[in-house]
Amino acid sequence: MNPYNLKSKAPITVCLLLTVMILTGCWDIRDINHRTLPVVLGISTIEDDQYKVFLKIPEPVEGSMEVKIVSATGETISHAVDVISRNMETSVDLLHVKVIMIERKTAEEGMKDIIAGFMRSREVSSKALVTICDQNMDEFFSKLSESKNLKGTNMFDYFEKNAGWNPEIALTRIWEVYRSIHSYTRDVAIPLIVTGDTTTYEQVGSAVIKNGKMVEQISNDETLLFNAFNDESTHGQIEVLNHASVMIIGNSMNHHTDLTDKQPVLQSRINLKVVVLETRGKTSSDMIKKELSHLLSSRFSSMLANLQESEADILGLGQLYRTKIDRNELKNWRSVYYPNLKSDIQFQIDIQNEGYLRTT
Amino acid sequence: MDRFINEIKAELGNNGDFHLQRDYLADAAVMLLGFNTLIDFIKTRTVLHKHAESILLQNQPSEDLWGAIGELMEGDVLKAISSIYEGKLIIHFENTSRFIIMEPVPAMLDRSIDSPTNENVIQGALDSFTEGIDINIGIVRKLVNSDEIRIDSFSAGRSRKNKLSLLYIDGQADIELVNSIRNHIEKNIQMEAYNLQGLAKMLGFPSWNAISKFNTTELPHHAVQNLRKGKVILFVDRLPFALILPSLFWDMFAAENDRNFPLPIMLAIRLIRIIGILITLITPGLYVALVSVNPEVLQIQLALSVAQSREGVPYPALAEIIFMLLILELILEASVRLPKSIGPTITMVGGIILGQAAVEAKLVSNLLIIILAATTIANSTIVGFQNSVSIRLFKYAIVILGAIFGILGLVAGLVFLSAYLASLNTYGKSYLYLNVKGNENNGG
Repeated sequence: MNPYNLKSKAPITVCLLLTVMILTGCWDIRDINHRTLPVVLGISTIEDDQYKVFLKIPEPVEGSMEVKIVSATGETISHAVDVISRNMETSVDLLHVKVIMIERKTAEEGMKDIIAGFMRSREVSSKALVTICDQNMDEFFSKLSESKNLKGTNMFDYFEKNAGWNPEIALTRIWEVYRSIHSYTRDVAIPLIVTGDTTTYEQVGSAVIKNGKMVEQISNDETLLFNAFNDESTHGQIEVLNHASVMIIGNSMNHHTDLTDKQPVLQSRINLKVVVLETRGKTSSDMIKKELSHLLSSRFSSMLANLQESEADILGLGQLYRTKIDRNELKNWRSVYYPNLKSDIQFQIDIQNEGYLRTT
Repeated sequence: MDRFINEIKAELGNNGDFHLQRDYLADAAVMLLGFNTLIDFIKTRTVLHKHAESILLQNQPSEDLWGAIGELMEGDVLKAISSIYEGKLIIHFENTSRFIIMEPVPAMLDRSIDSPTNENVIQGALDSFTEGIDINIGIVRKLVNSDEIRIDSFSAGRSRKNKLSLLYIDGQADIELVNSIRNHIEKNIQMEAYNLQGLAKMLGFPSWNAISKFNTTELPHHAVQNLRKGKVILFVDRLPFALILPSLFWDMFAAENDRNFPLPIMLAIRLIRIIGILITLITPGLYVALVSVNPEVLQIQLALSVAQSREGVPYPALAEIIFMLLILELILEASVRLPKSIGPTITMVGGIILGQAAVEAKLVSNLLIIILAATTIANSTIVGFQNSVSIRLFKYAIVILGAIFGILGLVAGLVFLSAYLASLNTYGKSYLYLNVKGNENNGG
């Protein structure tokens, strides 16, 4: 093999290196301190179909992080962001947006275009979380900016699994919302957030999104079941009964599905491993097991009944029937099959640990 | 004054250190000729007289004495002159044309065997090679102590004054490699090889290689261990280190002295060196890539703190890092040049004060100083100074690619670097050759 002879090819090498410099357009690159990195992007609609966009921007100020909230309106979201970028001394870069907050009114009207826009532009990571603001967005952000404990990234920390996340909070990414818009058999739940009285935020439940529209609302307890169904860890969850509270430390489930004459039947068995935390009065393990299983099954059936009524399949039960329903028929899952679904859910409770006391 | 002396005087008389001395040896009047800078005259004369006495006491003819002290020659003035240049002593019999070339007691011009100055050894043999090629070969011979060692000596250069020696162990070394080296030396024996560039030219290596083909070491133990593994050592007179051929990529991570530690410790030390080379290559490029091209890779908290540390810095990240790297290179180069006594002062001024001042003047960011410190420290973990210099050079290519293409450029730079390293070979032996078979006979 001939070793590369730099001397004879020096002119060509130099030319190639120069073209590399010229062709990349690397002079357009902005350094990190000349970019504004918003963490939260809030979207609401105002009159004339205009979007009002809010950006929550952490700003490093002398050793601490302060937060700035800016807003602008525009025909499209990117135009509104552009307006903000024009008026700011640094350029707005949506790369680090972690949370997208949509006003309830807008979500109810439908957010197909918004989500599709995010998926298309690639400006916002498709892993960003989607939440719904159950409050007027102006009010929400003005309350936030008055709040004392508003620190750099706390909205993001609220949803971080290694920080403030809790199994009662649904975690739904942009791509999941986008998937639900185009899938026949799967919908999503999105957390509903308002500003809290003593805490910065408060979750009032979860919004059920069907085809990009908010159709229903489920409570926090129901969100826990939704998360359990989606295999999101249920660790650390406290379930209050009449006589005791327990912590769920593990769950597993198996389903048996049947489809006879457009009548889907679902038999589910959910195994929960729990730890007893607190008891009131005389309580035995059997009682706890019975009550917990009864409570969860009734809660589950009522949630499912609600969801069936609004034809939104956030649990993804349709996924289980994909092999049983013809592809042409599948698009009718929500309207024909799902409302007819008969379910038999059994909770199997296993008390793993009774704590230091052996009194139950 | 006879003709012989006159001829030599005419040739050498303008040398201030040329020494001419009358003496009597076994009743013969002789003239001692030589350079007093190369010959210890007093000691030589003592030796000479003792020699003569012992011969005379045994009533041997003086002819035996002449034979015993050196080579007896007649008439050849040119030979006498070149012998004087080589540091020999000429004993000339007055009024004849006969002379003896004698090996004198040389003046002490070589330094004694010392502890290594460029390579530090912890828990290991502390001797090192010196400038004298014979001493070096002697050290190797003493360490190898085997009848299998072969030593080929060459005299290179136009006047054949430049001594080279090729050492290998018969049966271990790759005989093709030995033959290639020998053939190249013999073919280019006219070339001067006083330094490594000259030697590389002589051996037919391309002169534009960024990585040295020679693995140099000062440590006899290291050299001999490589010899035993089937590598070849070249010695050049007046160069105080052994040149081990072929040089392999793995030599950057493995020092022979590592084997004086328990195996897990040795593996940990080598792992540290591998991490070191990666940090040296990647971190400056990564800084530029993350700060200017791909900040989305950073976690938001980190991105904010990076942005905070760069607040008010006027230059783009590339200019900033090139500026600081350049200053660092200047400090490194300066500390090589400086006398040992003021070296530390300059390093302190350069390193700490300048760095701190640059940060406070908002010329560069805090983070950059950390990155530079990490880079420079990591760079020093590589075995062999010649290797660490090469790596220092490659890091610039990666910085520039990182500034243009971001993380992609960084990875592309590493791929290009790997491709370049893979293209290197020494007489067909790939630079990336790695002995994984466990036996230490070849390569490794």
